[in-house]
Amino acid sequence: MDLALTPEQEMLKTAVRRFVQQEYPKDTLLQMAATGISCPSESWSKLAETGWLGIAIPQEYGGEGGTLTDAAVLFEELGRGPVPGPHISSGLLGGFTVLAGGTQAQKREWLPLIAKGERSLVLAVTEADYGWDARDVRLVATHDGDGYRLNGSKSYVFDGLSATHFLCAVRLDDPPNPPLARGGKGGSVGLVSVPANASGVTVRSLPGFAWNLSEVKLDDVVVDKADLLGESFDSGWDAFQEAAGRTIPVLTAYQVGACQAVYDMSVEYSRTRVQFNMPIGRFQRVQDHVINLVNQLDAARWTAYEALWKLDTDRPAADAIHLAKAVGSEAYYQACNHAHEVHAGVGSMTEYGLTLHTTASRTLYHYLGDPRYHRRLLAEALGL
Amino acid sequence: MDFEPTYTEEQEKFRLEVRAWLKDHVPASIVHPADPIDLSYEQYQMRRELGRKLGEKGWLWPTAPVEYGGGGLSLDYSVVIEEEIDNAGMTLPPYYDSGGKLGGASILVWGSEEQKQFFLNKIFRGEVRTWQLLSEPEAGSDLANVKTTAIRDGDDYVINGQKVFVGSGLGCDYMWTITVTDTEAKRHENLGWFMIEADLPGITIQPMDLLISGGESGAGSGVKNVVFFDNVRVPAFNLVGGENEGWKVATTHLELEHGTGGRISRNWLVDRMFDYCKTTQRRGEPLAKDPNVQDRLVDIYIEAEITRLFNLRNYWMRHSGATITYEGPQASYYRKQSGLRQATAILDILGPAALTYDPELGAGEGHVEAYMRSALIALHPGGTTDIQKVIMARRIGIGREVKEKAGALA
Repeated sequence: MDLALTPEQEMLKTAVRRFVQQEYPKDTLLQMAATGISCPSESWSKLAETGWLGIAIPQEYGGEGGTLTDAAVLFEELGRGPVPGPHISSGLLGGFTVLAGGTQAQKREWLPLIAKGERSLVLAVTEADYGWDARDVRLVATHDGDGYRLNGSKSYVFDGLSATHFLCAVRLDDPPNPPLARGGKGGSVGLVSVPANASGVTVRSLPGFAWNLSEVKLDDVVVDKADLLGESFDSGWDAFQEAAGRTIPVLTAYQVGACQAVYDMSVEYSRTRVQFNMPIGRFQRVQDHVINLVNQLDAARWTAYEALWKLDTDRPAADAIHLAKAVGSEAYYQACNHAHEVHAGVGSMTEYGLTLHTTASRTLYHYLGDPRYHRRLLAEALGL
Repeated sequence: MDFEPTYTEEQEKFRLEVRAWLKDHVPASIVHPADPIDLSYEQYQMRRELGRKLGEKGWLWPTAPVEYGGGGLSLDYSVVIEEEIDNAGMTLPPYYDSGGKLGGASILVWGSEEQKQFFLNKIFRGEVRTWQLLSEPEAGSDLANVKTTAIRDGDDYVINGQKVFVGSGLGCDYMWTITVTDTEAKRHENLGWFMIEADLPGITIQPMDLLISGGESGAGSGVKNVVFFDNVRVPAFNLVGGENEGWKVATTHLELEHGTGGRISRNWLVDRMFDYCKTTQRRGEPLAKDPNVQDRLVDIYIEAEITRLFNLRNYWMRHSGATITYEGPQASYYRKQSGLRQATAILDILGPAALTYDPELGAGEGHVEAYMRSALIALHPGGTTDIQKVIMARRIGIGREVKEKAGALA
């Protein structure tokens, strides 16, 4: 038993923390949020230069060949920002999906580009009937010569605006097939890579409290057969499922880092904010919020890292993955709520920075399935 | 990271040895009453006997130093023992005893060499069982407010006062306690920590009538008692850590009692509830097929997992020498509060069948009914959940001007 990071992982942690402090200070993050540009090319290329985007992509495909725990160390520090950009959606989920379901040619061509940050391959799965099951996919692909013609739209696509390509979940309409039952796998839901600048594609950023969510419309978009992930239409959905299983605990490590930042902020504020002639941390009502916050943080941390350990050591991990996402998403959401109670009015001021996290926490609550969804899957994984 | 102990070939051989030994030495007639108050004298004696045999082998307190009667084993070997005891349906020690984990640890840190030789050998070999005597009518959460006095008289101290919520059923051999040794001195500088023989003249033990005893110990503590001291003469040798140094000594066992020791054993409640819901029919199908029941079972599972991970982390932190701050009271707080939330989930799932040990209409052979009582009462022993939060806040560095450090453990 050893719950410590390796010396190499500790070095990585330090390096990433320094990088985030230098390249993504609060003012930069606030500016990115204000302008709606989640991925300015300058910051992105600096992040890409580090090689970290391909941390969990095998070396033979241009990545660093690290473990998922290595990736989690990186993403925990990015979560402290919270640093936006398609590092989760493309670097992890996109890369893992290609790795799980791509042809050899696709792996050779796409993965090195993803690892270098030159291609942002963003999964576009959910639609207006929001959900992460295959049955929720309605976007239609019809045969068109050697390729496919796509019509429909994807809603709530995370990092849609920073995508160079979308990996769209589509339903083959030949012959017409009904939506799958809940939990259905495979069938004829496949994944097709669509360049974001292809004719017929329009991307619209969703305004409000959403964090880097977009709607992607596909209007008579024609793609080549080579853009279909894998050899056959059927392999796409399974590849996405497998990739999601590997992405989720790293994503929850990002949420852990974010909770840690929110916690540090709240402890500091409790120590320095004076009311009634004493630091507000002396008040047990305020302490309750901080304690609830640290309990959420630690629950998220250890469920995430145990799931990562199980995946890295090829142990059965389905239950641990669903547990980690159910706990991690709830934790980040609640951590922000508690932090707002500690900070009161100051927390609501954009310039203070807490709202960067609050905003991110809401969208990540749902991304790749919300806690209720993963609790249902956990029940299945536990044999209920 | 590695969430499981990895065992060498030698350790796996040791596991087989422990398993075989337990098979030979755990009496088949040992039973586990749902409410520990129902533990019979014969059952208690069987457990004590098992404890002494474990003690002879150094397996009762596996990581305690050999020179004081412990096993002197490394963490990995002790985990092997704990896992095997757990699989045999027992706990370590197999009966309620606060001496090894809490009292013994305090003597190990603060006792003189002579005291260590004298007390620890008996404790770590399982020759004696000890109770802790901390709370008093005027000293619950505010332990430093104890009123029991121990006044020096020649080579002895003379103790007078009253302790409450003490021990278990069926008696003990030693009692460790904290008393006022200087009635004039300032708070925290007026206390002494004693290890006392339980059969001294002037000690009276009176059982309390409680909803249930609380269930702090895995072995179950059964009844709780009031202990009266009426001019009890205790040799000065039994004072550990020096006169008026009792609070310092107390920080060690309080630290452990507040959860810093950590645990690695599994949670039987989850298995029990899952099995029950899979095998019990309601309206013609297993309870576990009802989506509402599934939701609540998942709630129980998640609570148990988080508690398990906090305990595992603390266990690792303690044994790897990592710096512990708020993690002990956090684990205690979380375990207790989640235990009560789990009880609520069980009540939702089972309805009134959770509230009776009636052999026909009760669920789980009385264990569920006992849990419904103990989940609530267990909030308080070893420091209320509110006290755990107070300590967490101090350790986090917001409760006081100076960040509080954890109590010394070794």
